[in-house]
Parts: sequence; structure tokens; C-alpha cells
Amino acid sequence: MAVNEEALMWVEKYRPKILDDVVDQHDIVESLKAFMRNPKIMPHLMLAGIPGTGKTTTALCIAHELFGMQNWRNFTLELNASDERGIDTVRERVKDFSRYSRGAFGDVPFALIILDECDQMTGPAQTALRRIMETSSRTSRFILICNQSSKIIEPIQSRCAIFRFSRLDRTAMIEHLKCIAKKENVNISAEAVERIVDYGEGDLRHAINALQTAAAYKEGGAIDEKVVSQVIGEASPKQVQLMLNKAINGDFMEARRVMYDIIGTYGFTGAEIIRQMQRELFKISYIAPEQKAELSNILGEYDYRLTQGANSDIQLSALLAQFAKIGKTLGESN
Amino acid sequence: MKNDLWVEKYRPTTIKDVIGNEEAKTLFVEWLENKRPTKKAVLLYGPPGVGKTTLVNAAANEYKFRIIEMNASDARSEKAVNRIAVPATSFVGLDKFSSEVKGNMLFMDEVDGIAGNEDRGGVSAIIKIVENTRTPVIMAANDPDLEKLRPLKKVCLLIRFQQARIPLIIMALKKICEQEHIKYEFEALEKIALNSRGDVRSAINDLQGLSEEGKTLTVQDTLALSLRNKDISMYDTLKGYFATKSIMEVSNLLNSSNVEYDDLLMAIGDNMPRRYTDPGELAEAYDFLSQADVFRGRVGTENWHLLKYFYNNLAQAAAVNPESYKSFEFISPPIRVITLFWTKSKRTLLDSICVKIGVQCHVSKYEAKMIFVPYLKLMLQQKKKTNTLIEWLKLTPEEVTFLTGLKMF
Repeated sequence: MAVNEEALMWVEKYRPKILDDVVDQHDIVESLKAFMRNPKIMPHLMLAGIPGTGKTTTALCIAHELFGMQNWRNFTLELNASDERGIDTVRERVKDFSRYSRGAFGDVPFALIILDECDQMTGPAQTALRRIMETSSRTSRFILICNQSSKIIEPIQSRCAIFRFSRLDRTAMIEHLKCIAKKENVNISAEAVERIVDYGEGDLRHAINALQTAAAYKEGGAIDEKVVSQVIGEASPKQVQLMLNKAINGDFMEARRVMYDIIGTYGFTGAEIIRQMQRELFKISYIAPEQKAELSNILGEYDYRLTQGANSDIQLSALLAQFAKIGKTLGESN
Repeated sequence: MKNDLWVEKYRPTTIKDVIGNEEAKTLFVEWLENKRPTKKAVLLYGPPGVGKTTLVNAAANEYKFRIIEMNASDARSEKAVNRIAVPATSFVGLDKFSSEVKGNMLFMDEVDGIAGNEDRGGVSAIIKIVENTRTPVIMAANDPDLEKLRPLKKVCLLIRFQQARIPLIIMALKKICEQEHIKYEFEALEKIALNSRGDVRSAINDLQGLSEEGKTLTVQDTLALSLRNKDISMYDTLKGYFATKSIMEVSNLLNSSNVEYDDLLMAIGDNMPRRYTDPGELAEAYDFLSQADVFRGRVGTENWHLLKYFYNNLAQAAAVNPESYKSFEFISPPIRVITLFWTKSKRTLLDSICVKIGVQCHVSKYEAKMIFVPYLKLMLQQKKKTNTLIEWLKLTPEEVTFLTGLKMF
């Protein structure tokens, strides 16, 4: 595995440089290598799948292999759709880029545009993107990255070869972490690695960051489960957990205060908060599975209302009030 | 006679002093002097507060007419019109030999306010009067496009009034300030004028509301006015809303309130927990608010007919249990606004940190927040070999301090 010596976050340092090193997506890699041998036949690509499974890495590897490690940045435009202000910015940057990168590189008759998180783009923005793809297709190829391809409009899907990234195999993740630990001269117990992998929920970046943090906690000596538990505990969303616990225990006012605390500092949207609540709800040990299911259904209902409504504060407050009401009946029945 | 209201006190008494609308003024005078005898009546139309009524009064003053006025507060059914307007327009008047008064002039203000049912036959009665009149008949309206006014428009000369230009309003305000001995910052007058959107009357009212004798009128004062006005109606609406006895009562209140509905929903949401302390009641009330918000979302920018369902749900939330009402203090500025205001610097720092992470690690700001910030914080707290890491991410000392002390979400 080639190593990026400059990078200090291990996620970057050990990010695969060539397609063959991409973790656990063999079928996709094989198909893509055919395009690398004959770039002229490469269509627009869409890489879809859950977070942390290697989509961005694969896109960057394609750039490396097409243009070489020295040159790839000159012929690649990397845009994060959820950060760019809107389609106008995207249009301007793509236009500028495809203008000066004309003529491209060696045997590769196009420049590469990597557009991350495309499923965050609105419908009209996607329609505009489709147009941009058409007008710049002589000079550029797009790699569109998304979590759900179903959120991408049909006309764009039909213009792309779609590759679906599956959840990473647990063993492959364990092997990858062990490999990194070895290169960093870090001793780690097998149980500790497994604990990290399980916490990462299939997102390799999560796991690597946890590993690096554990290594910082324990310099010299082996990383054991205890250290990992400590890191995971410290890095977990404590305020989201607090908000949930307060609500479920009937303390609506305090739950809502914490909610505004989180929104104030982190600027999360209503949907992002509900997503985190959903994740944390199932980790709570003191309520029965049936009750979790009931609470989860409520989360689902308000998650939906959020998409329909106009004011996320109202929806989140209403959600917390529902939890507090159920919490009260839970308290009475116990 | 001393008049306390400046709009009355400084209402122009001659046509030339009426602000702006020169073309309309000329047209009106020509009609009054019978240079345009084709129509026996005029309809002055345009937005409120631009001088329609003032022009009529000034003209009456200059041409020595006595104004017989009917406005929206009088009922304008056929019967009412005939009782007042017919005598006024049929006789030249007892005063006709007097040098003081030439005759009557019928002025019907706000004719677009003639309501369909209550003023049954009103429009046709007016038309009959116009056909038979021997004196000038003048009407004024804000919205001339109303279907029910169409027959009226046929028998009238239409004269359009436009919003007064801002510099003209400023000049008028300046003149009043000088006569009232009010010191002022020019920008304050400018603000008032701009805020009026060409409505001279409201501008003068605002000026009077803000001015205090012996005090200089500042821009700061002008900010207070618009907020104060808004807050009062919001306060009254909330008071009635939370203390309501029934859905009917609160529906009527919501119908008559002029608080903007998004602001209202937010304020009600903020205050709901103070109204209902029982978790069951609170959950039920919030559920109605949540559904109100869903309808608000469906209304969007075009489905205005759905707004009634929004208000229905709002009303139901108020009436979950009228028995449990105890009066309470309102939280007044929206919690969201206050929260976001006080935490802005935090978010700005976090954003800038996340952009830097994003550049180096190919992630979006959201992913940086979720999967990098928690671990980075812990690594920085360990203070081992962190210098190179900080350098690589190009974090400023301020950002490092912030990150190290950050509370987890």
C-alpha cells in the first residue's frame, strides 16, 4: 500500500492511490480498469453507496491513473455539491475549468470533474447539471458521487454508468485497520480492532479516525478494548444522547434547551438531528425493544413532516413533546 | 383650531401644495372646470395615503364647494345612497346665492369597500345618481380592478394616482419638523420615507409617533418604531390566543390579527410549553402546530386556499384544554433568532475548521463535522505531536482553542 507521507490524518495518509488498493470493491475495480486501459471509451460515471465505502477514493484513484500522480490535479476539478452555494457556482466553475483544460492530457481526451454528494442537489439544480454535462461532454467526463442513486433524476442516471458500492465486509475492514496499525508501529489487540470496526457502522473513515485517536491516547504499549471504549465514549454525540434521555424521562424543557444548544453550535438541520436521534435511540439500554419501535415510528412520522413543513423548530419541538408524553406513561407503568 | 394629528394639521389646503401626482392634479382640475364635460363623475384610484382625499378637500376649498362625504364607514346600500346622495346632487343647494359656497360636491371615498351583500344595490344606485347629477360626483378607490366596480368605471373619468416619490416625502417631513421645532438626523427622515413605501400619510404618522419635543430624531429611533408596532399586535394576538375559551373564539381572533403567519407560528411554538405544563396536553398542542406547519409547507407560494387549514390547526392547538389556562409571561424574541445570534461566532469558527478539513480530506462540511471533528478534538486534547497536524490542516490558534474546548453534539 502506497503511503502519502505528508498527510497527518491517517484517513488521508492511507487513502488508496491506485484502484487495485481500494478496499473490498473488487467487481467495481475490475470494470473500471477496462476504462483505464482505454480512456477514450470511458462514459460519465456515477458512484453510489453508503458513506465511507470508498466512492471518493475510487474517483481520486481514477484521476491518478488517468493523468498520473504528478499531473492529476491539473486535469481534475473536485466539487462538493453540498458545500457549493448552488448550481450557478457549479456552472461557473465547470465552465471555467473545461475551458482551460481543453486539449487534456496524453491519450486522455478529456478532463475529469468529480462532483460529490450529488443527491443533496435540488431537482432544478440537477436539471441544470444535466445541461452542463451535455454542453461540456466534448471536453469533460463527470464522476458523480451520491449515497442514493434514486435521488438523482432519471436523465442524469441514463447518461452515466452506475456503480453501486456495497457495505464493506467486516473482515476486510479489520484487515485494513491492522495493516495501518502495523505501519504506524501501533500494537492493538484483536478485540480492540473489532470494537472499532463495530462502532464505525461500515464507515471506514470513522474507524480509521477512531484508531488514530486511540493511538494518540495510548502512546507505547498496546491499545486494548478499554482505551477504545474510552475514545468511543468521548467521541460519541453526548448532547444528542442527553436530549433523548431528557425527553424520554419527561423533561421537555430541558430536552428542547439541549436541542437549541446543538443547533446553535453545529448548525444542523432538522433532518440531520433526527437522523442522529434515530441512531442513538437504539443504543439506549433502559427501554424495551417494543418501546424503541414505538419511539422510532414517531421519529419517522416527524422526519416525514419535516420534509412537508416549513419550520423545523416546530417539528422538532413537537417530536420532543411526543417523546416526553410517552416517557411519562413509561415512568408510570414502571 | 389646534389639531393634534399632524396628518390633519398639515393637510394641504390648496391644490398646488398636494404632494406629487402633477398629472392627476391637472386632469382633475380640468374636469372640475368643465373642460372635460364627457363624464359627470371621476374615479380617483391609487394606493392609500398618496393624496386622493387631500386633493378633493383642497379642490373643494379652492373652488368653494361643500363636500358631502360618504365613506366606507357608512353603509352603502341602495337605500343609504339614496338618502344622502340624492338630495346632495339634485339641488344646487340653498347656499347657491352665497358667495362662500358654490354648491355641493358628492365625495364617496373607498368605493372598492362596497361589500357585496350589505351594500346590495349600492353600485347601481351610485350609477343612477351619476346619470342624474347636477353637481360633481367624485369617487376614490385603492383597487380599481375589482369586478364589482366595472359598471362604475364606465360612467367615470379615471384618474390614476401613484405613490409619492421618496424625495418629495422627505421634503414634506422636513417642513413639518421645522414647523414643530423638531431636530432630526436627515437619515432618520429618509428611513421613515422609505419605510412608508410612498404612503405620505403613514410617513407623517410615523414621524409624529417618533418625535419628542427637545429631542433629536435619530436613525436609531426609526428602528424602534417598526419593531414596536409589530410587537404590540403580536403581543395582543398571543394574549388572546393562549387565553382562548373555544376554537370559535380563537378562529375569529386569528382572522382579525394582522401578524404575519410565519412569525405567529414561531411565537406560538416558542410559548407553547409555558401554556401547557401537562405533557399530554403539550404533546397534543404541538401535534396540531406540527400539522399547521405541514399545511404551511403545502401552501408554498401559490396554494393560498390551503391557508385556512393552517389556521384551523393553529386554533385547535390553542383550545386543547381551556380549563388549564393561567396567564404567563411571553418569550418575545424568537428563540431560534436569539440562539443563532449568540452562537454565530461559534458556527463561523466551526465552519471554517470544517472547510479546512474538507480540503485536506475530501469531505463535505457535514461529514467533517460528523466524522472528523469529534476525533480531531480528542487528538488535540492529548497534546502529543499535534503541532504538525495543526500545521497540516492550517488551523489558526483560535480554531485550535475552540476545537479543544468544543462540547460534543
